[in-house]
Amino acid sequence: MNKIIEVKNFTKKYGDFIAVNDISFEVEEGTIFAFLGPNGAGKSTTINTLCTIFEKTSGRLLIDGKDVSSQKNEVRAAIGVVFQDSTLDTKMTIEENLIMHCAFYHVPRKEIEKRIQFVLELVGLIGERKKLVGALSGGMKRRVEIARGLIHYPKVLFLDEPTTGLDPQTRSHIWDYIIKLQKERNMTIFLTTHYMEEAEICNKIAIMDGGVIVAHDTPYSLKTKFTRDMADVTTKKGLELEDLFIRYNLEYKKMDGYYRIDAKNTSALLHVLSFQKNDISDIEIKKGTLNDVFLKITGKEIREES
Amino acid sequence: MDTIFALWKRGLKTFVRNKLALIISLIFPFLTIYVFGAIFTNEMIENPVAYMLSGIIITTVFESSLNLAATTVDDMVSGFMKEVLVSPAKRVAVAVGQLLSAVTVSTVQGVLIFVVGMFIGIRFTLWVTPIYVLAAMICVGLVFSGVGLFLATVVRSGQTFQIVKTVIMMPLTFLSGAYIPLSMLPNALRNVAYFNPMTYATAFFRMIVLEKSDLSHMELVKKGLAIDINGFIVTPMMSFGILLVSGVLFLTLSTRSFIHTDFSRMNRRASDASDLWG
Repeated sequence: MNKIIEVKNFTKKYGDFIAVNDISFEVEEGTIFAFLGPNGAGKSTTINTLCTIFEKTSGRLLIDGKDVSSQKNEVRAAIGVVFQDSTLDTKMTIEENLIMHCAFYHVPRKEIEKRIQFVLELVGLIGERKKLVGALSGGMKRRVEIARGLIHYPKVLFLDEPTTGLDPQTRSHIWDYIIKLQKERNMTIFLTTHYMEEAEICNKIAIMDGGVIVAHDTPYSLKTKFTRDMADVTTKKGLELEDLFIRYNLEYKKMDGYYRIDAKNTSALLHVLSFQKNDISDIEIKKGTLNDVFLKITGKEIREES
Repeated sequence: MDTIFALWKRGLKTFVRNKLALIISLIFPFLTIYVFGAIFTNEMIENPVAYMLSGIIITTVFESSLNLAATTVDDMVSGFMKEVLVSPAKRVAVAVGQLLSAVTVSTVQGVLIFVVGMFIGIRFTLWVTPIYVLAAMICVGLVFSGVGLFLATVVRSGQTFQIVKTVIMMPLTFLSGAYIPLSMLPNALRNVAYFNPMTYATAFFRMIVLEKSDLSHMELVKKGLAIDINGFIVTPMMSFGILLVSGVLFLTLSTRSFIHTDFSRMNRRASDASDLWG
């Protein structure tokens, strides 16, 4: 697969403070890549450097083979950016915002109308195109920004916390658009998010903490590597069950009214439970989540606001 | 080119959409004439309304071009400038677009007041006068949109900017001879006024509007159309030269400063700037 983003030994310092310390990673074309990390981990610094806003201190950052610091304009033409905070002109209509964007990105004039139709249909705002941006709700504004970020057909779309502060329904809609895009246009999507369940959809995840990448893999392998499935079992005959656990060498913990068992060895667990067919009143299998991965790696809960 | 045009159109649209500001900017000059009118009623000035109005028109062009170019600060605060700066649009084009839209809007405002003024006292006999008037407005607009953009790139924070703007605009406005004749100013202030480009812009513009280009130097000085600095007479043409020089200076300064500004450190809301850029 073609590497669309390549970062090698990237370091960024602010005076003495090292915000990003010698990180390297690659993103393959046509995938969704998520950047996770607690606040101050260096996510925004990295994304802003990739978007040509910040200057690197050292290292090599390439987007589509072009150098982020020496070929700024080529890189800028190849990317679309949706910032965390709105960068729309609220005094203009949706349509006017899109037209201006096309001018900045040198979209051929004949194409503009067709593209406006396309992106506004994608985010479901075609009927709203003459409305002033200032009059739109937060979710609609975000959709306009995504539409605007796409209208010049970028190779990579950067989304800095695209769903922060939106209601669950809008969030799921925005994810539908993102996935649709990735599939239809084979676009690479690079995003940061605070919502762990959203990161599950991504092809690859990098977790940053304290300026370094502490884990980098698919959501599935991260979960297998860092979490275990657990089974919560409630039974009438607790002591008998404990005996069985010991006999079959299953790790368990006595909780408040139920037992939490390590479900790594599924067949042994099933075997044990079959002895108590008539006594068990409740079983709940708990899959490891990315949140568990995150906690395990960084030692802190991800904070939702920014 | 597309970028310049897009930003220019944006400036015009914003101007046209803000009806209230448009109406106030039209009414305000005439209110000022009513308030300050008495000062200019003396035997040296035959047409006080036209005399005052010409000063006020050029002041309006000056204030509005400076203000409009300075809205670049608002664009930084609202985030719109970020959208422009991550695009492949050239920074020079962005600066020129902002400057041209400020010049255009302020000139349109000046022309509107001029047209209304023709009903209450401005008369001209030469057909070239309106062309000169327009050219002079554009010049003044260019000079001070340059100043405005320069300030915007230097100050960058929304709240500080309001104060800086007032501190700069007040003396430029009141020490220019537009509202108060220079001869009525205390000596110290008059010396300050000699360093004010607006002093020359006002004198020059008045001469055009009042069609007094054929008067002798002494007469021009008497009428306040030429400036007498301790015996050295700055003729309207020299005034125009001074204006041009300061214009070139500020346009270059502002464009350069805009191109080299590191917008990555822009101060949005002071409290969470570190969150945003951390």
